[in-house]
Amino acid sequence: MSMPRLSSKRWRVFLERAVEIYPKHFDREFSLKELLAGNTLERLGHCLDALLGAPYRLTSTSGALLLGEADALAQPRRIPIHHDLEPLGYLESEQADEEKFKAAAALIELMLQVSARYYMAAELHIESVQANYEALKQKHVALQESEASYKALSESLEQRVQQQVQTIETAQRQLYHAEKMASIGQLAAGVAHEINNPIGFIRSNLATAGGYVDKLCHLAALIKAGDNIQLINFWHDADMDFLMEDFGALLKESIDGADRVARIVAELKGFSNVDQAEEEVADLNENIRTTASMLKSRFEGQAELKLELGEIPRVLCLPGHLNQLFVNLITNALQAVPRGGSVTVATDVADDTIRIQVIDNGHGIPADLLQKVFDPFFTTREVGQGTGLGLAVARDVVNAHGGRIKVESSEGKGATFTVYLPLGGPNTDNRKPSTTE
Amino acid sequence: MAEFDEESNKLTVKLVYYGPALSGKTTNLMRLHDLLAPELKGEIMTLETQNERTLFFDLLPLGFRAPSGLLIKVKLFTVPGQVVHDATRKAVLSRADGVVFVADSQRAQGENNAESFQNLEENAKRVGLDFDRLPLVVQFNKRDLPNVLAEEEIMQRWGVAPWPIVFASALIGGGVRDTFIKLLEQVYPVIDGFFKLDELHHVDAPAFVKAVAGLS
Repeated sequence: MSMPRLSSKRWRVFLERAVEIYPKHFDREFSLKELLAGNTLERLGHCLDALLGAPYRLTSTSGALLLGEADALAQPRRIPIHHDLEPLGYLESEQADEEKFKAAAALIELMLQVSARYYMAAELHIESVQANYEALKQKHVALQESEASYKALSESLEQRVQQQVQTIETAQRQLYHAEKMASIGQLAAGVAHEINNPIGFIRSNLATAGGYVDKLCHLAALIKAGDNIQLINFWHDADMDFLMEDFGALLKESIDGADRVARIVAELKGFSNVDQAEEEVADLNENIRTTASMLKSRFEGQAELKLELGEIPRVLCLPGHLNQLFVNLITNALQAVPRGGSVTVATDVADDTIRIQVIDNGHGIPADLLQKVFDPFFTTREVGQGTGLGLAVARDVVNAHGGRIKVESSEGKGATFTVYLPLGGPNTDNRKPSTTE
Repeated sequence: MAEFDEESNKLTVKLVYYGPALSGKTTNLMRLHDLLAPELKGEIMTLETQNERTLFFDLLPLGFRAPSGLLIKVKLFTVPGQVVHDATRKAVLSRADGVVFVADSQRAQGENNAESFQNLEENAKRVGLDFDRLPLVVQFNKRDLPNVLAEEEIMQRWGVAPWPIVFASALIGGGVRDTFIKLLEQVYPVIDGFFKLDELHHVDAPAFVKAVAGLS
């Protein structure tokens, strides 16, 4: 059913008026007055005047006058005006021509029939339009309710997504931390080896020195006794000439060893502040050297680690994080080369940018994997052998310093990772690497 | 509910012919108009049709005057069967005292019958009629056509229902009056309960049926 183009408010007003005008049902019983309402009645009056040419009265069954003479006629003839099954009124006249009188009554009945048809159709239309309108209103309410529930759903959905994101971020942070701990663990193994060696010979030297002291005590006793022959015999037997010479060398060697341990411990301090976000001005070559010496022993006899460090200015950076970057890149390279291979770390500076290259002559990275090497959890190693986070962390550290990292490789010809760090310092906004968040 | 107009001493009963499109509701009314000879019989009023399809409704008024002088009018309406005219159908069904459901017996119309019947049940509830107590007769029309469901098949499906089932051919005339009488027989006790037709107006059930559905 097509509806007039009215705004919903005007439509409502229209309907309310319509209901006021037609407060009753379409199938109700109509009265004569109702069916001849409006100017229909007036025009019918003119017609009846002309048709009958004599005084007449049109009344309802209860006697109420609708048309014609106000006063009752003295001796009227009377024709009932039927509608449906029953008379609704009477047409009365004294002098009208019989034929015309009957024709007038038939005419009125015809009009009632037409009028009733119109009213019933119109009122049924109003009823059904109103029903449609009510249905629309209910649908509108239902739609609003469903919209509200969808809105609520979408809000809770957002909340749930945020929770998920939080969970993932937490897990990621834990993994990054685990990766950091793993590389520290690897370093610790190297360091232990480095320290064990000097500790070993220092202890052995000190044991020997203990024996020497015993001999010196015995010698002192002989000197006090003044027995020159025994003294000379003992000197020769105990090879005191060698002892005197060796004692000095042994102490010197032990002092060197202790210095070496002290140096390693000092180097280790660079790694002890991995989690510190304090910025420092640092010489990156020094960091690379430290890292290299830490890693060297782990790959002793497997691969050669060469440093070609050019002169570079000191930069403001997070040394702990850069150490991790170097550990990850160099470890990655050393693991990639076969026995007897070599890894070269080179630094130089150009256009206010420090360039650090880690070059290996290993088996290289296939072209289709090249794009993925920085993706978190991407690893070509056996399960449990690599976290797949090493290079991802490396990239994050570089990004946090406002630099960039790229990889070049062709299969069989090794790979080169190049880090560019700006001298001017990074944007302070992204200075803090995500690994420490 | 039937309306009693005290002023003009008139009781108006409303009966509605419901059913799917083209099942023969209007034909039922036309046949009744020809067959019946009540004391009072109006003309069939047909409101606007479109290609012979009912847009609003058809109306056949029948009636008689009780010995007490009470005018009893029985107005028969049809609804438009097409699905789109649901609001009109609902308005016509409002205030009905009884319903004839005209089903199409043709084999292919089973689904339309079922949908329309469900629509009747829903609309009855919407307009406030107690469907469980509503006087109702189910007429399976078009028995004269080929390819109709056998009576046994229909009785298997509908026989368990509480409503009388009548087989009819409205076009020829068979079953039409029988359907109407079965409805009147159900309607009478309800109206009698409210308006004491027998006690006050001396119209008992057989008299009521005979007066409204008497043969010409």
